This record gives sequence, C-alpha cells and structure tokens, in this order.
Amino acid sequence: MIRTALAMSGLGGLVVAFFAVFGGMALVTGTGVIVESGLRSQVNSTRLTGADVVVSARQLVPRKEDLPVALPERATLPSSIVDRLSRLPGVESAVGDLSFPAAVVPGQPSTSGAVTPGTSGSTGPADPAAAGHGWSSLAFSGGKAVEGAPPRRDGELAMAGARVGQEVRVVAGGRPGRYRVTAVIDAPGLYFADSTAAELSGRSGRVDLVALRAGRGITAQTVAAEAERLLGDRYVISTGGARGDAERPGTAAARGMLIALPASIGGISLITVGFVIGGGLSLSVNRQRRDLALLRAAGATPRQVRRLVAVQGCVAALAALPPGAALGYYLAARLGELLEGTGALPPDLPLTYGPLPAVAAAVLLFGVVRLAAWTASLKASRMPPVSAVAESKAEPRVPSRVRTGGGLLLMLVALGLSATPLLVRGEIAGLGPATAALLAIVGLALAGPMLVQAAMGALARRLPSGLSAPLWLAVTNTHGYALRTAGAVAALGMMVTLGLSVVLTQTTISQAKADEVNAGLADVASVSAPRLGGVPHGLLDDVRALPGVMAAAPASTTTVLTRSLAVGDDPGLHARTAMILGPEAGGVVDLGVVEGSMGELKGDTVALDADLGEVGERLDLLMGDGTPVRARVVATYSRALGFGALVLSRDLAAGHTTTGLDAEILVRPAAADLSSLAKTWPGAEVSRRAAASIADADATQGLVNIAVLAVLIGYVLVSVANRLVATTTGRVEELLALRRLGATPGQVRRMLRWESLVIALAACAAGLVLAGVPLVMLSVGFLGRPWPAGPLWLVPASVLVVALVVWAAVNLPVRRRHLAL
Amino acid sequence: MSDVVTLERVTRSYGSVTALDDVSLGFPRGRFVAVMGPSGSGKSTLLQCAAALDTPTSGTVRIGGVTVSGLNETRRTEVRRKHVGFVFQSYNLLPSITVEENLTLPLRLAGVRPDRAWLSELVERVGLGGRLRRRPAELSGGQQQRAALVRALAARPDVVFADEPTGALDLRSAAEVLGLLRELVDELGQTVIMVTHDPAAAARAHETLVMADGRVVDLLSAPAPEELAVRLTRLNGVLT
Ligand SMILES: Nc1ncnc2c1ncn2[C@@H]1O[C@H](COP(=O)(O)OP(=O)(O)OP(=O)(O)O)[C@@H](O)[C@H]1O
Ligand SMILES: [Mg+2]
Repeated sequence: MIRTALAMSGLGGLVVAFFAVFGGMALVTGTGVIVESGLRSQVNSTRLTGADVVVSARQLVPRKEDLPVALPERATLPSSIVDRLSRLPGVESAVGDLSFPAAVVPGQPSTSGAVTPGTSGSTGPADPAAAGHGWSSLAFSGGKAVEGAPPRRDGELAMAGARVGQEVRVVAGGRPGRYRVTAVIDAPGLYFADSTAAELSGRSGRVDLVALRAGRGITAQTVAAEAERLLGDRYVISTGGARGDAERPGTAAARGMLIALPASIGGISLITVGFVIGGGLSLSVNRQRRDLALLRAAGATPRQVRRLVAVQGCVAALAALPPGAALGYYLAARLGELLEGTGALPPDLPLTYGPLPAVAAAVLLFGVVRLAAWTASLKASRMPPVSAVAESKAEPRVPSRVRTGGGLLLMLVALGLSATPLLVRGEIAGLGPATAALLAIVGLALAGPMLVQAAMGALARRLPSGLSAPLWLAVTNTHGYALRTAGAVAALGMMVTLGLSVVLTQTTISQAKADEVNAGLADVASVSAPRLGGVPHGLLDDVRALPGVMAAAPASTTTVLTRSLAVGDDPGLHARTAMILGPEAGGVVDLGVVEGSMGELKGDTVALDADLGEVGERLDLLMGDGTPVRARVVATYSRALGFGALVLSRDLAAGHTTTGLDAEILVRPAAADLSSLAKTWPGAEVSRRAAASIADADATQGLVNIAVLAVLIGYVLVSVANRLVATTTGRVEELLALRRLGATPGQVRRMLRWESLVIALAACAAGLVLAGVPLVMLSVGFLGRPWPAGPLWLVPASVLVVALVVWAAVNLPVRRRHLAL
Repeated sequence: MSDVVTLERVTRSYGSVTALDDVSLGFPRGRFVAVMGPSGSGKSTLLQCAAALDTPTSGTVRIGGVTVSGLNETRRTEVRRKHVGFVFQSYNLLPSITVEENLTLPLRLAGVRPDRAWLSELVERVGLGGRLRRRPAELSGGQQQRAALVRALAARPDVVFADEPTGALDLRSAAEVLGLLRELVDELGQTVIMVTHDPAAAARAHETLVMADGRVVDLLSAPAPEELAVRLTRLNGVLT
C-alpha cells in the first residue's frame, strides 16, 4: 500500500506536502516553546542561593476559568513571621530579606568596582532598583565579608570593590547620603545594617521575603512542610528552582507576556498552516486525479482511494516532523533572543525547552494532515469511476456554491468589521481591522476559485480579438483552471493582506499613540535616574527651583488589575499598565481632561478614560502588589490611547510599588536649562523627550508580531512557490500539446510569463483591497486621514516580491528540453 | 517536384532502437496515402518526422520546398504552421477552451485571421454546427476527432497528416471520418497521409505504404482489403 501510494504520488506533490508540514511544524513547535515557557519556565534564582526555603506573599491572583495573573509589584509579609519561622523545628536560621533601590553615586574615585560581579553564586552587576539589602541577607546570598566588620549603625555599609573605611556617596531608598564602608564583600549589591535597611526600604516593618536555612541533615522539603503547617496557604513556600519566582515577582510576571505573545498571532499562524497544508495535499491529489480515477475504474473503492491519499500525506508528514521540530526550537530560541534584546524578556527568565511542544505540535499537525488528506480526496474518491476518468482530463469547472457563498460572506463581514475605527476610538478599535484581515483571508481562500474564474471569464470575453495568442492563452488558462490558479492567488493575496495589515495597523496605531503622547507632553522634558534605581528624594525640589522651570511633576507607571472596563478586556480581571501622577501633573501633562480636574488627584483617586466612566464613580482596583482598593474618579480625559485608560494618584500608588520611587520628573518648558543637574545630581539624566508613555508593552508585542509574521510570510512564500513549481512541471504535457498545435517555444514562454503576471496582479489586487479597506478606515479613525502611517514602501515592495516569486516559480522550472518536440 | 513532402535518407533512432532506418520518400500533391505496418514498425515516427514534429537523427526533410532539418525550433514551427495539419490519435483538444476556440487556436498562434467562410464550410461538412460553444469534454469521441480534423484543415495546409485518426472510434464514426478525408482529397485536392491498422480504411487511399522495422517495405496502389490483410499477416509472421 505504502509503496503504491508513493509510486503514484510522484515526487512533486509529496515535496509540496513535505514543505508545508515542515514549516507548519516549525511554527507550531516554536509557538509551543514560547507558551510552555510562559507556563513552566523558572526564574533563575540569582541572589538567595544560600536559602533552602523561601517564603513570600502570594503574587498570583486567581481568575475564573483563566490563568492567574502574576502581580509585578512586590507584595510584602509582616516581619513577625520571621520569628515564628525561625522557631520551627529543623530551621537553622531565618532572615527577613529586603531589596530596595540603592546605588553608589556615579563619578566617585575608586569605587569603580562598586557594581562589579562578586565571585560566588551571582551573575552580572546588581540591578540598582533592587541592589540594597540588610546585612543578615548576605549569608543567604552565598557571599561573605572578605575584610572588615559588618555594618551595625546608620551610615555604615558593606560592598565589593571598595576599601574598608572609605567614604562613599550612596543613594538608597531614594535618600542620598554618605556612608562609611565597614566591610568589603565578595557579592554584588549594597548591604546596610538591618535596622537601616528596614528604614530605607520604606516597607514600614514588613519584609519582602523570608529566607530559611535547614539544619544539618534536614532536607529543604522537610522545612518547607513545617513552614506550610505553620502558615497554611496564605503564603507561598518555595524550594529549589521555584525560589527564583519568589525572589523576582517582576520577572515572574513577564512570563504572562510569554503566554500572551502567541495569542495575538497564533491564530493567524494556525490558519495559515492549515491553509498551506490543505493546499499542498489538494495539489498532490489534483496531480493524481487521472491515476486515482483509473484506480477507481480498476475496482478500487472510494475508501481505498482515500486511504491511499492519507498514506501519502502521512508519509510526507512523518518525514517532515523531526526536522520541523528542530527548526521550531531554533526559531523559539531566536525569538527569545529578540525579546531579551528589546528588554521584554528578563535575561534571568530563560525559555524552557522540553519535548512537550514538539509532541503536541506533532499530534496537532498529524490531525491537520489527516483532515486535509480526507477533504482533498473526498471528491475524487466519491465520483463514479466513469465520470472520474472523464473529469480527470479537465478540472471540475464549478467551485462549490456553499464554499463561494461562505467566502463572500466572510469577506463582507470583514469589510463591515473594518469600519469599527470610525465608530469607536481607543485601543479596541484596532481589533476590528485585525480581525477583519483574518476573516478576509479565510474568505479569500474560500471564494478565490469562483472570483478568479469570474474575473478571468469577464476579462476573456472583453479581450480584443487582435490580442496576441500568448496573452489570450494566459487569460483563458487562468479562467479554465481557476482552481489551480486560485490556490496561488489566494495564498499570495493572503500574504499581501497579512503583511500590510499587521504591519501598517501597528504603525498607524503607534503613530496615533505617539501623536497623543506628543500632544499631551508638548514642550516637556524629562529627568530620570535609572542608574540610581529611580528618582531620588530632593531631586524634584531642586528641579523646581531651577530658573526657567515653570512646572515639574513626577511620573511613573505600575500595573493594576481592574474588572473589564472595555470590550476586548479580559472578562474577569484585566491587568493594565497605568501611569502614576500627582495633583501638580495637570500643569505639565495635558491628558485632554474632559470633566473634573487633575488637581484633585490626591488620596485614593484616579483619572479615567472619558469613554469608560464618569467623574464621581467608584472604581475597585487591585494594586500591583495585590492590595484591593476603592478609588474615586476625579477626572476623565480623552488621550487614553497615548496615556492608557487609567491614571492613578501618587497617594494611591504609594506603598504599592516595589521601588517606591518615581521613574522620572516631567519638566515644562522643554527649553528650561537643566544642565546644572548633572553636577548637583550625578546619575540624573536629562532627556528632551519624556519617556512617560505606556506604549512599551505594545511595542514589544508589535515587534514580535512582525518577527513571527516575517517567518510566516517566508513559509507561505516558499510553499506557494513550491506549489507553482509543481503545477508548472505537471503541465509539461499541456505545454507540449500547445507546441504540437503550432506554438513556438517563445510563444509558450510568453504565455507562461503572462500567466504569472495575471496571477501576481490578481493576488496583489485581492491583497491590496482586503488590506486597504480596513487600513483606510483605521487611518481615518485614528489619524484623521485616509492613508496609514508607516513604511508605505511596503506596498510596492510586497507587489514586487509577489511578482518575483510567481515569475520565478512559474517560468524557471520550464527548461528548454520541456519545450522541444 | 510536385511532392509536397520529401524525405531523404531519414534515420531516427532512440538510443539503440532505430525507429526509422534510412527512409527516402516523396508524398505527391493531391494524393491520399495510407501507412500501414505492425506495431512498433515506425509509422508514427515517420509521420512525425515528415510533419516536422520530430527531428530526424540524420537525413533531410523538405516541406513545401523548405528544408526543415537544420532550422531552429521557432522557424520549424513556423514552417509547420504554414504547410502542415496534424490529426493526433488522441485528439489533443485543449479542455479549458471552447471547441470553436480550439479550431482557431493554430491560426491564433500563427497570428493569422481565420477565414470564416472556409471554417464554417468545414464545420458544416463535418457536422459540428451548433456544438462550437461547448467544451471538448462535452463532445463524443467521433465529434472530437472531427473537430481535430477541422482544426488541422483550418489553415489550408499543403498536407494533412493523421496518425490513426479512427483508432478510437466506432465503425460508423470511423467510416464518417474516412469518407471525409477522401472527400477532401477528391474535391479540394488536399494531400492526406494517414496511419491506420485497418485494411478497410487503407482501401480508401490511393496508395498504401507498408512499413516494417523502420523501413518502407512495400508500396501498393489501391490494394484490395483482402490482399492487404494477407500481406500484413505475413509481415507480422516474419517479425515474430
Ligand atoms: N520516445 C521514444 N523513446 C524511445 N523509443 C521510442 C520512442 N518513440 C518510439 N520509440 C520506438 O520506436 C519504434 C517505432 O515507434 P513508433 O511509435 O513509430 O511505432 P508505430 O509503428 O507507430 O507503432 P504503433 O502502431 O504501435 O503506433 C518502437 O520500437 C518504439 O519503441
Ligand atoms: Mg503509432
């Protein structure tokens, strides 16, 4: 059976199916690796390597019927727990660990080594936003004093790369001060006396984590079990690899992004993979129509014919799965690097490479192949043998009505959906065109044959009679073999649609966002201090006191959880990035206040997107550390696209962020002379452009979308080229017949060139219309003009790529000997 | 020099198989010639070489006074378009275009405006009127073969080659097609060269060429079917 199946398939068809499955496997496996990493990857424990058990507050908020949301801001524990845990049997020692922003003020002599890595158990320099700790934590981080005595009082410090007795200027917990180095240690970070650390951290008697060390001969599991008996499930008790999560909630929260990433483009990928595999197998079946018909005539049952096709598909799939999986892991690794490069994926959150994604992808693709083989062979297998033989000469001329109707309907719905940006504004409006593009390409795939046939028929009838024979033949062939042509037209049109709509939708929305941000932050400069872990206390007053500064306001961002506020939000709890501003921000940032006043942004208050609520409403929130609050809406504003749906008052956010520091100070006017700050506040950085926008997360998503899309487009292009090559080589008989009827080799070649032009033009026309309509609507809605933002050269470029691929795939396989009689 | 097509010492080999072995021949204008011989004796090869559809390994072929050997593919095609009509055993109609479009396809390829009056006369004669807008697949085998005949004649070629034109037809259709060929020769002075396995068909020709082993072994003038049958059986006997 297998041998017959393979002998019959001819290599061409199988190669097409092989590449379709190969690429599909790579895409699905790659996506799977990202998703698995989102579910199971572990944050590398970088600091508390000496702790056997780490106890932390819950950083996961459960959701109904959905994955829990990870809280990115540190949730703390009462320090009284430390004593209770230290008295547990089997616990040798326990310490309440704290991390807070701390940094040596840059530019001091002989402290260059302040942030150099230690020798043991640590990687890289400490992040200034969390480099400060209490002395007793040092023992748990695998570090020790090389020289000197532990810091005991305020003003004392232990660090690496300094001399004992040296005075250093340090900003810790936002407070600048002078410290004397009492000990030199071999670990990164700045270690203060425990009492000093408690005060600097601003945690008011609470701790970030409790680190436990088990006594001699006692396992971590035993201690963990004891701790669990004492505390119940209110707190998280971690051992082994899970300790990293407890240590870095922000990093752990980035895992959520890994799951969310494929969600946006995964649907498109899956549809594409299904489409390409289906197309590959149907091509392979079409090539064998005649043989299958003869088999039927020779007595094969429809079931046997279907089995034969299924065997062919499965053989191609089996051959393609292992190399596809390998490519998938490779692609995932590259994507991981890309994410790390953009800062979206913390370097201490490595991707997980398990066998699960490959296995799952293999099962999925095998199913797709079986299904595709079954559908592709259904028609050929069911026909009565006689008409099967007769039909096998020409292709069935009428594409199914249901199929065409469904396709047209989908395209209509898509065009309707694409009008959403005209009706609603805001992030959600972008969803319409994105969905529209997706529906449109499915519609195109379904209705393609009929459309191609109708369009080419109309064209053929209108052609002037004096037309050159090759052109005439090209048009009539495209018309007569609509199914064959439409596969390529639909796939290429789909690529044009996807490529243009994904990229240009993104650039248009980000342009609209940038426009709003620019308008809202016109004439604003920004002062920040990333090397100090955040804006230190006192910097704001100094900035305000500078001559020429009219207004200055601190700003930062955090993540909060709200109920669903808008269409498209998660139905249960929706995590969103929110800006934190104070009452004085109204004089600097122009959010486009509709109602209420920014000056009221004091106490437990928020400002809200004007489309989502009214002044005076109460809003229930979960802060980034999991604390539930009820806030009053004191202002509504219109620039939600650029600044997000929600702005928190500083008072409300205070105590609920990990660092407790502002990220930047917004200064008006931008022309104010801030150069003197560099001298008074080493480490402060002035930029003419305010960074205060929350578009970062979207930018990452956009980048990933484009990267995945590039892979996807490559995949489809290769598979379409494959199909075209197979189609052309399968036409050698047809070309020879033309030659015998009096066509010169030149005429046959010209005919093929015209055909490729017709295919390319049809594909581009379909793609441009299906991408263009939503994009025009989007641009009108978002930018107030009919053309999208962004690299418009993509349009001619995509036309060119399509034309080149079609030309090469149709014309190059035809060799001289194919046309010789 | 009234020969339409001349072959001089034409040899055509496929690797070690010599399909045509040093054949010299002339086909005179206005004659109906049948070509017979056992299977594999080189009849199709002879026709294809004579029609410039195939290139001989050695020797020269002249069509309408033009030596086609040595011309490039394009020039050869042009000569063929002008002088030769070919009726293939398997019709060779393009399935994707209508019958009418098939009939004029060679003219279209040659960039020649079809002679409408001539075409409709041919169509009438073969009885295809009313079926021109159909697709070839919607015609019967005989109808398709008659369409192929019209196509071969549409350009008023000097010579029409037909390779087993009745091979796939029932007796009646076969008789019709043969009658048609004979009419063409008698009434219009058309030259027709036809391969056939049927002695009765060969009997309608002016002459019959008999081939064996790539050579022309006999040339009979209007032989009676019985005589032909005997000769052929003997030939087959020799071969086996
Ligand atoms: N393309 C080819 N490649 C190799 N050998 C060929 C080819 N075409 C024909 N032959 C060989 O050349 C010889 C003559 O073939 P040809 O087709 O001319 O025979 P024929 O007389 O037409 O036979 P039939 O009556 O069966 O059609 C045969 O031995 C055949 O095997
Ligand atoms: Mg033959």
